[in-house]
Amino acid sequence: MTIEEGAKFVAAAYAIILAVLVIYYFMSARRVNALKRDMELLEQEVQRRPPAAGESGD
Amino acid sequence: MTGWRQFMAILRKDLIRELRTREMIISMILFVLLAMVIFHYAFGVKEDVDLTYFTGGMLWVTFIFAMLLGLNRSFAQEQDERCLDGLLLCPVDRVTIFFAKTAGNLIFLLIIQVVAVPVFTLFFVHRGYGSDIVLFVVVLLLADVGICALGTLLATISMNTRSRDLLLPIIFLPLIVPLLIAATAATTTIFATGASFGVLGTRLLFLLGFDAVFMVAAYGTYDFAIGE
Amino acid sequence: MKKLVSAPALFAAAGVLLVTGLLLAFLYSPMDASTMGYSQKIFYYHAPIAETALLAFGISFVAAILYLRSQNDKWDRLGVVSIRLGLVFSILVMATGMIWGKAAWGTWWDWEPRLTTFLLVCFLYTAYFVLRSVVDEEQRRATFAAVFAIIAFIDVPITFFATRFLPAGMHPTVITSSGTGMPGSMFVSFFISMIGMTLLLVALIRRDLGIEELRDRVADLKHSIGG
Repeated sequence: MTIEEGAKFVAAAYAIILAVLVIYYFMSARRVNALKRDMELLEQEVQRRPPAAGESGD
Repeated sequence: MTGWRQFMAILRKDLIRELRTREMIISMILFVLLAMVIFHYAFGVKEDVDLTYFTGGMLWVTFIFAMLLGLNRSFAQEQDERCLDGLLLCPVDRVTIFFAKTAGNLIFLLIIQVVAVPVFTLFFVHRGYGSDIVLFVVVLLLADVGICALGTLLATISMNTRSRDLLLPIIFLPLIVPLLIAATAATTTIFATGASFGVLGTRLLFLLGFDAVFMVAAYGTYDFAIGE
Repeated sequence: MKKLVSAPALFAAAGVLLVTGLLLAFLYSPMDASTMGYSQKIFYYHAPIAETALLAFGISFVAAILYLRSQNDKWDRLGVVSIRLGLVFSILVMATGMIWGKAAWGTWWDWEPRLTTFLLVCFLYTAYFVLRSVVDEEQRRATFAAVFAIIAFIDVPITFFATRFLPAGMHPTVITSSGTGMPGSMFVSFFISMIGMTLLLVALIRRDLGIEELRDRVADLKHSIGG
């Protein structure tokens, strides 16, 4: 097998590794952003709520 | 000693219930015979093709799927009438329940095999294997114990989930594959060329080890699998 | 919380080691003497990824035992996170292994023991997530998942052993593992890549654990305000 032939396989293998790891990282980064936004909204809601929660606490 | 009596009581209950309805055994046997017909047409691609080499694989595929039917059935019955809740209320060790259930399933699987093996080999194996019958029975028993132990543990888990019988094959099949490989290899050798304990030594030891390992694993985890 | 979610130092260390290992593999390690030639370079990441995947499953096994003993949610989170990463790494093992197969044996798929084992591992740990998805109650879900993770990890070496079985007396002795005699100049590159990959796993586990924790907190908060 010549170096050129081998290089194709090697390039394909390392490209797949890089692609999968990058995709995994970005997917989890998106999840983190979504969760942080949820968290902020929920905290705002909690701060807004207390009196209302007290009223309907029966 | 009380453990043994409890074990026998649960086992007897399962056997009596099955003898009264016979719904599980009959459907399993019918399934096995139908599978045989399907295999014949799936593999008999041309006339007088010799299926001797395939019979081991066919048998084990059939047993595994018949067992899936049986496992789902045996636990569905327990749950429909809330029998299991009653059983759990009794002062019985959970592990005793596991061993009794495993023994019950083993007996049903053996009944299936008593019917299936002669029929399959009569139709497909073109070579007498009578001299290896003891070896064959040993392979059968070793593999059956593993199938029933693992199957009982996983069926207990799957019946406690939302998708019940849909889940069992998905978690059971990938775990049982190694046993299936060893059992099929051993059975095929017996049917195709004849074998001795020496030739099949590693496979037999492997099956024995598989049984032991998963018995211990099930013993350690069954408390958690059956729920509180 | 921010500190939990990102662990830059670990990622940086892993990155430096992985790049160093790769550079060494291409610039320093000798060309493979066998017919594989240049395509043997796949090995320098392929094997470390495989070992890291098994390490991740090993971590999930320990986490499962600890969960069953303590019923502490943090072990359940560790189990989920390490199995998910192990699965990602296993898929990479399969992908690079198939490319290796094409280069070495001229076929995309060969029922070779290691490749077959990883195929079954993929099924096994995918089933883990199917199991999790069909149990609603949290504690029960974690318990069943832990039991399954224990059984699954025990099954991995057994599967590897069994894939070497063929009907006795019909096939010459099965393939034995190769690559025991690795020259030192190859081993250095391989070893650095392996440490780098392990660090990457640890960094990813830490990061994902932070995410899972955040998710649980969001769920709790949602629950507490009644929606």
